[in-house]
Amino acid sequence: MSGHCDGGLRSNIEPNCLEKREIMKKTLNKMAILLLLGGVVFTAQATTPEEDRAAFVKHYKFRFPDVPMEEYPNGAYAIDKIGRENWEAIEEFPPYEPFIDEGQEMWDTSFANGKTYKDCFSDGPGVASQYPRWDKKQGMVITMALAINQCREANGEKALKYKKGPIVPLLAYMAFESRGQVTNVVIPEDDPRAMEAYEKGKKFYFTRRGQLNFSCATCHVQNTGLKVRTEVLSPSLGHTTHWPVYRSKWGTAGTLHRRFTGCNRNIRAKPMKAQGEQYRNLEYFLTYLSNGLELNGPGARK
Amino acid sequence: MNMRRLPSVILLAVIMAVVAAPTVAADAAMDPKAAEVMKQIDAAEAARKKAASVESEWTTTGKLIKKARAAESKGDYDKALGLAKEARLQGEIAYQQGASQSELRIPAYLKY
Amino acid sequence: MTISRIRLAQAASGLVLLGTCLVAPAGASEGSSVVEEGKGIAFSRSKGNCLACHMIEGGESPGNLGPPLIAMKARYPDKAKLRAQIWDATTVNPDSAMVPFGLHRVLTEEEIDKLVEYVWTL
Repeated sequence: MSGHCDGGLRSNIEPNCLEKREIMKKTLNKMAILLLLGGVVFTAQATTPEEDRAAFVKHYKFRFPDVPMEEYPNGAYAIDKIGRENWEAIEEFPPYEPFIDEGQEMWDTSFANGKTYKDCFSDGPGVASQYPRWDKKQGMVITMALAINQCREANGEKALKYKKGPIVPLLAYMAFESRGQVTNVVIPEDDPRAMEAYEKGKKFYFTRRGQLNFSCATCHVQNTGLKVRTEVLSPSLGHTTHWPVYRSKWGTAGTLHRRFTGCNRNIRAKPMKAQGEQYRNLEYFLTYLSNGLELNGPGARK
Repeated sequence: MNMRRLPSVILLAVIMAVVAAPTVAADAAMDPKAAEVMKQIDAAEAARKKAASVESEWTTTGKLIKKARAAESKGDYDKALGLAKEARLQGEIAYQQGASQSELRIPAYLKY
Repeated sequence: MTISRIRLAQAASGLVLLGTCLVAPAGASEGSSVVEEGKGIAFSRSKGNCLACHMIEGGESPGNLGPPLIAMKARYPDKAKLRAQIWDATTVNPDSAMVPFGLHRVLTEEEIDKLVEYVWTL
């Protein structure tokens, strides 16, 4: 294009310039279509976990510009001022405290064979930031709850249930001992199955399901901060930092996978098995999103 | 055969015939509808499982099938038929829902 | 158009008018009860549960995921479009968070008809 014709806004355009502009317009249109197609192809392509995490961070920063990153482990209370006041009052006498004490007792009590949890978790109880992690030998995502049961079974003890019951205090104690550690999920590059597990978890997160046709993202990305009835929808950044949670609605403390189950039921989707492959992969993806956020479990929620 | 036993054998036969007759008649009468109900329940169960195979089963579908079975066992075939049909349709839509999302699609509201 | 056709059309519209006149009084009373039933469906937690996401005048503790249900006639001059939105909003916007009440059989077609009548009055 000649510089002479570039002054598109001038009224005295030469006729051949108009022609040129017409060609230019068509070319631009074609380019736009190509770009659009490119864009579509691009979104269909797999994004890296770091790109995923960055997109989530950007999304929430745009939506809640005044909320600093370190607030996200507090869930909906990072963005809901009224709910936060109640929560801070509850946190003065934390309802999860008895669970921590009970869990410590379990930790200190030896199995029938004389061994203890310490024999499995050589770094001690404060190891929450090491989970979930990819286990190359087993070819699956290992969560802390699963590791506890693998330890028990290796020592001739019965596996604990995954949603409620005695596993909760043990997890609460271990979470408490891990406070201050930073979420650091690693997707090892020496085993492509690890990335596959992450991708599966991501796929689960974005898939609309249930009669109500919601995905995790519908509530926790698209509509975060808005209310279903009086419930403020929480951001996914920070979703995994504070488990197990004492939930007033439950009247007790429960696990992350119990919460997954409840979320799925709310949208009338048949829940997956607690600690089954789908939920473990979801935990892998979801925890990755919180990389860099401080662990603050156990938690209390409405 | 011992002749002294004959009267009791005849009596037994008569009793059996009397008891059995209406049952057989009733069975024959309700058979088509009951069979249709069972067919519909089986179809609903198959649809539910198909939805589950793509991890897309709804909580509502199994409940409908349970209710359909309960209605069937009470002989309320019309109700059972309606429930089973609804369950089957739900299973089919749930399958569609899952199958149509076999590829990951990042929603437009999340910008990379 | 031939004259006979025009006559036919006139006759037909006359019939329609006559029909409307005959039906109108019954329709009016039925209409208000349909609206009432629609309101019941909208407010019921197990049916429409519209208040979970929408503010509706007279409804308690509404959510705000969706827009407030006001000025519906202005927003949906075409009632059919409103019905389509309730039936399955994802056909217009694949990322719509709205429950596809018709497609997913949360409500029956009859219930949706009643709901539309009510929502259109808002």
